[in-house]
Amino acid sequence: MSALHLVWQAAAVLVGGGLLGLVYKGFDRKLAARMQARIGPPLRQPFLDVGKLLVKESVVPKDAVGWLFRAMPFLAVIASFTVLLYLPWGPFPAVLRSGGDAILVLYLLAVPAVAMALGGFASGSPLATVGAQREIVMLMSYEFPLAVAVVGVVWRLATLGGGPAFSLGAIAAAPLWAQVGPLGVIGLAILAACLLIVTPAELSKIPFDIPEAETEIAGGLMVEYSGTYLALFYLADAAKTIAMAALVVTLFAPYGIAGLLGLSGAGAQAVDLVFHLVKIFVVMFAAVTTVRVAMARLKIDQVARGFWLQITAVAVAGLVLLVLDRMVVG
Amino acid sequence: MPETQNVYEIPIGPIHPALKEPIRLTFRVEGERIRGVDVRTGFAHRGIEFMGMKRNLIQTLYLSERICGICSISHPIAITLAVERAAGIEVPPRAQYLRVIYSELERIHSHLLWAGVAAHELGFDTLLHLTWKVREQVLDILEELSGNRIDYAIPIYGGVRRDIVPAQVPKVEAMVRYYRGLLDELLDAFLRDPSVEARTRNVGILTAEEADSLCAVGPTARASGLPKDVRQDRPYLVYGELGVKAITPRDYGLEPRGDVYDKAVVRLLEVGQSLDLIETCLVEMPDGEITSFPKIPALLAHLKKAEGEGLGWHEAPRGEVIHYIRLEAGVEEPVVWKVKAPTYSNVMSWVPMFRDQEVADIPIIAASIDPCICCMDRVHVVRDGSEATVQMEELLRLSREKTDRVTRRLSPVPRHGGWA
Amino acid sequence: MILKTLFSQLLTKPATNRFPAKYMPKSVLGFLGRVKEGKATLVPPVPVPPRFRGKIAYDREKCIGCQLCIRVCPARVIEFLPEVKKIRMHVARCTFCAQCVDACPVDALAESPDFLLSDTDRSSAALTVE
Repeated sequence: MSALHLVWQAAAVLVGGGLLGLVYKGFDRKLAARMQARIGPPLRQPFLDVGKLLVKESVVPKDAVGWLFRAMPFLAVIASFTVLLYLPWGPFPAVLRSGGDAILVLYLLAVPAVAMALGGFASGSPLATVGAQREIVMLMSYEFPLAVAVVGVVWRLATLGGGPAFSLGAIAAAPLWAQVGPLGVIGLAILAACLLIVTPAELSKIPFDIPEAETEIAGGLMVEYSGTYLALFYLADAAKTIAMAALVVTLFAPYGIAGLLGLSGAGAQAVDLVFHLVKIFVVMFAAVTTVRVAMARLKIDQVARGFWLQITAVAVAGLVLLVLDRMVVG
Repeated sequence: MPETQNVYEIPIGPIHPALKEPIRLTFRVEGERIRGVDVRTGFAHRGIEFMGMKRNLIQTLYLSERICGICSISHPIAITLAVERAAGIEVPPRAQYLRVIYSELERIHSHLLWAGVAAHELGFDTLLHLTWKVREQVLDILEELSGNRIDYAIPIYGGVRRDIVPAQVPKVEAMVRYYRGLLDELLDAFLRDPSVEARTRNVGILTAEEADSLCAVGPTARASGLPKDVRQDRPYLVYGELGVKAITPRDYGLEPRGDVYDKAVVRLLEVGQSLDLIETCLVEMPDGEITSFPKIPALLAHLKKAEGEGLGWHEAPRGEVIHYIRLEAGVEEPVVWKVKAPTYSNVMSWVPMFRDQEVADIPIIAASIDPCICCMDRVHVVRDGSEATVQMEELLRLSREKTDRVTRRLSPVPRHGGWA
Repeated sequence: MILKTLFSQLLTKPATNRFPAKYMPKSVLGFLGRVKEGKATLVPPVPVPPRFRGKIAYDREKCIGCQLCIRVCPARVIEFLPEVKKIRMHVARCTFCAQCVDACPVDALAESPDFLLSDTDRSSAALTVE
């Protein structure tokens, strides 16, 4: 593959992912509003928001650690967009398929959260400090079940000889559900449920929007950010939403429909890509939009306890089932 | 645990999304634990009592309505009761029933408003939109009956200004039926939702002893299990005949703990109680006059002649509101007008409620007493252009001096009439 | 169950009345101008009940200049015109308590259903009743 080709592909994924993130954010807001019997903003509102933020003044507080405060939005946006390059897009393999695997994706997904926490600590506001502390606790809470879910799936696949271990491309090419025994199916279903629960936490959405908690700490770690920097975090959030939902789809539902429709060639690829995007949308709607309108915000100690004890226990149980399945099926 | 070096301060307010009105709470926080709180009031002081003492009593009545937009029946009812006592004015029975109906309608809308705000503080905006959507019904009825959605301008000295005409009765009854059908759904959404329960159970506890010693009033006291309600304890209007009973969590089969959950229980049950009262009033309301002074000039003349003092109290949605008034013959303005809003009694219960809670609980605990800051702010000391703190001894001395001035009839208020 | 409510609301019309227009016009004043010219239609506001207390209507002929309304008005909306013994009302200050209507001995004042009174000029003709 030529370098030029790579650049072209990467540009398409990055621009496409960013636009898609904002479009999905628009849908998210509109649908949430309709569920609350409101009209809601127009679908293009996220674009207007970003545009407006980009022309606004970017204030750096006097008490802030300037360079850290300024650098973190860029780190967040770079990390979340980089994830998009490592994820397969329906029929298209990941742009950087040879350079990284599921483990790298896990780390990259954690980077925006760390960047936000550091930015929060650097902004020199007590509210942001509280938010940053909460973000770190959140990160420590949901990382383990997230890792168990992702690693469990890719490990089981490697044991079946489905290509290089931890490769997301291999998972997308060979869905696990058909290859494992009944125990494995139950285990996979449990891990899928865990991943869906982790999704809103990873994205800091209600009931897990604790680091921002508008009514408690006035936006928490975002409280001092404005203008371009805020727009960057906004974009990072949009891209991360897509990335997280795409990860769920890639791991647990990497199916296409082109074969069913009897299509082939470019048409099949186009249909499968659209189907992939629809699946991402469904995951986002179920795990983010619906959950965030149907729940109250939890407290940080409740979340930490829940993730460390209950969710982790459930995820490990899923993993154990997969191990047993390996012993039975091979 | 003793306070360590890790204690730092988080300022909430005077401007903060958790606060609907300006007040400053400074929390000493250790990690996420609250170790102490300092409450600073006075940002919304408007000098409204002073303004009232420069207007004639009818104008003051409408000023009292604007002490609080939500309690815009409660304050006028308290001031009319005070003036009626001071001036010896009788209120026809029908007018008394009408006042009860209006104040119970206000209680419904205020409690639903609170429920929505509480849900918002918990980050549960769907519940906010749901409760405020159903709250529209009672606002529509208030608009239908009084002509205004808020600031109803209904009570007047000697009665009320508008009757409920027979054509309106079915509309009110339909509203009562609507909320009856909805109440279970509301109780379900607030009291049986696991995420709401996780955020409100055992949060912001005010024990019965604390509530008693801090003189908490209204739902704040009742949630702690104190059966305290002026409608029951010192009946006025026709509340005595209606047999109002103070509602505590016991009426919902719960042992009172005084937490936020219990406060939601009490307020939602009181919506049901208000529906009962409205229904009873519509049935039992006798025919007759709605005011003893149909002609305004006669009322003005009577008030100008009146001499004496009076106290009026009313159970506002947030608790007991008291108005004191002192009239002098030949003067149109009240010589003294003193207002005590329920939040004034409740604000100190924040201190035990916040103790050892988490930062995340601040908004919901603050909201749980349903604070009305502009109702409460009565004084703001500014000396030589800077703020000053007045200690209790000096405040006592100043109060005694003022009482002295008032009793010696040296009114502190420069008198004048008409345009300023 | 809250989810049932949520999904039924997702499929029904929002509770909001889209006054004055379905979509926010670029300029509200421009839109209202077009409505006046008949080029656009206004989404009507929620109707008001029959005894709504809107802008006070004044019957100048009936007025006897007794100034009782001035005495009771809490917001000092009403100005007396001594030469003609009539009144002028500055609606921008009005609190819509309609106490003046109750006080008027000759029924020269009445409650009207008008409530769309916002204006950029507080002494405009629409906000001055005489």
